[in-house]
Amino acid sequence: MKKRILVCDDEEPIRLLLTESLHDIYDIVEASNGKDALSLALKEHFDLVIMDIKMPQVHGLEAIERIREQNKRIPIIIISAYRPMEDDIIVKTSNIAAFMTKPIDITGMRAKIFELIGE
Amino acid sequence: MKKRILLLLRFVLILATIVMMTYSKRGLHIASPGYLVALAYFISNIIFYFIPESKFSRPIITFAIFLTDVVAISLAIYFTQGMQTDFYLIYFLIIFIASVGQDLRGSIPIAVVASILYGWLLLRANPGISILDSAILIRIPFIFIVSIISSYWSTEIRRELMEKKELENFARRLEEEIARMTADESDLKSYSNTVINSVASGVIAVGNDGVITTINPEAARVLGSSQAELTGKNIKDTPGLEALWTKMQQVIDTKTPIERLQISIKDTSNNTLPIGLSASPMSSSNSNISGCVAILRDLSDIKALEEKLRHAERLSYLGKMASWVAHEIRNPLTAIDGFSQLLAKTRDQEKIQAFSVEIHRGTKRINHIIDDILTFARTRTHIKAVDIDLRQLITQITENLGNVRIFINGDANTAIKGEEESLKSLFNNLIHNSIDAMDKDPVLTIKFYNTDQWLVTELTDNGKGISEENMKKLFTPFFTTKSRGTGLGLAIVKKIADDHGGRLEIESEEGKGTTCRVYLPSEEK
Repeated sequence: MKKRILVCDDEEPIRLLLTESLHDIYDIVEASNGKDALSLALKEHFDLVIMDIKMPQVHGLEAIERIREQNKRIPIIIISAYRPMEDDIIVKTSNIAAFMTKPIDITGMRAKIFELIGE
Repeated sequence: MKKRILLLLRFVLILATIVMMTYSKRGLHIASPGYLVALAYFISNIIFYFIPESKFSRPIITFAIFLTDVVAISLAIYFTQGMQTDFYLIYFLIIFIASVGQDLRGSIPIAVVASILYGWLLLRANPGISILDSAILIRIPFIFIVSIISSYWSTEIRRELMEKKELENFARRLEEEIARMTADESDLKSYSNTVINSVASGVIAVGNDGVITTINPEAARVLGSSQAELTGKNIKDTPGLEALWTKMQQVIDTKTPIERLQISIKDTSNNTLPIGLSASPMSSSNSNISGCVAILRDLSDIKALEEKLRHAERLSYLGKMASWVAHEIRNPLTAIDGFSQLLAKTRDQEKIQAFSVEIHRGTKRINHIIDDILTFARTRTHIKAVDIDLRQLITQITENLGNVRIFINGDANTAIKGEEESLKSLFNNLIHNSIDAMDKDPVLTIKFYNTDQWLVTELTDNGKGISEENMKKLFTPFFTTKSRGTGLGLAIVKKIADDHGGRLEIESEEGKGTTCRVYLPSEEK
């Protein structure tokens, strides 16, 4: 059975890109905003979460904090158009597995995910 | 009559009486009754001398004095048997003196008493005298005639004197009044000068001919000269103040004030100064325009502050823009970069096709962002205007907008001059804002109407409206409530409207919808 990854980004092309890059190994579930991502993450089991930060309705960082309240161990990768230092403190306290600045190196990301959850 | 003069005349009368008594038939012998009468007469004058001036002019005192005279003279005649001589003539003297300084009411009683006593003396001297005797028939009426004439004459003189005195009083009061008014006017002048000179704004008044009549220190400072140098000078002949005179002349000619206008003048050192100007026509007493008074404000400091603020705003925008560019460009860049990485690894034609489309979309998006930045950052305000029919332009934009019902109303003249691409961008932004704000049964109504100088395009949607909080930030660049908004849309709309010499109005009620009005200058006919 494939491991499940929750991809959350308000940009449709980014979601498509991540799905296309990862669906050969993982089962990908998409969410277009923080609110949907949060309800999915709280309801279903995921092995990893890929989360954008600047999103409508529920901000990515808020969604991460809420997920962390429920699940302390799930690896979370942040993908953002901003540099990591802007939200450094939250990133540190929320135990983030990786912070990737857009544009993303697909090969590097696949390697990081494999390192975190395997196949 | 004055006390001093009266007593002096009486003294003369007494002397005349004594002289006549002395030279009468009987003569004046010491201790004779005539002598005692003369003595008493003399003493009476001394007694009258001690009556105070204030009481002296009372009618009763005057009457008593003249009664004394008549009685004393009658007794003198009686004791000297002077009726056979011209002694009686002295009655006329008394009547004359008594009448001068009195009106008829004062002199007639004396004349009556004098006539009775004279008649009595006459009867005693000539017991069988006929009433037709000239001594009675002529002399007694004569006594009255003298009394009436002298009284009338003296009354006339007194009246003239009083009139003269009143005239003098009037003239004096007039002089005092003039002096007081002159002082008041001078006070008023000094007061208004103090006020004008203390005003922090520049005040300058000119006549219809442009000659400076009043200028305060601040106005002189702004114009780079002194009050003394500018007062009396013709503003028309002062280099650098042409724009000021043009506006003041316009106020004089149109008799209409102007307010808060901004003009540029040159001071004496040839520096261009931005000046805030308000001016009003001045009316003279016959309500003709006599000139113009202007309030000047040196706007150099304000302009410098505004420039600093703009600079700070530019820097702040730059910071926000950098952050925004990072986010907005990195997302499509991620797609382009990622799909091109995937493209290199796949042989599936369908996938190749799909990835290429995504790469193209990302490129288009980046291009759009760059266009927005360029429009927003464009500093030129001059537009390349062409003839545009706004109704046609908006109809084109609203074609193929999916499920949005669009109504275009109004039979206004929609021909304007403008920059086609810019106006497309303006209305595209507004229309898409409305569409983005509407959920169920979206209806957008676009109405055109003309006012005096504007073509107004009114766009009303039934969307979610704008909160009061967001209303304040509406035109702030990079502020957006949309997930995919650039935050530049309304800033660009406002800029395009400004560049076209127009303006933008937005009204909104949260939950009910929004109305935007775009005012563009009507095409000149």
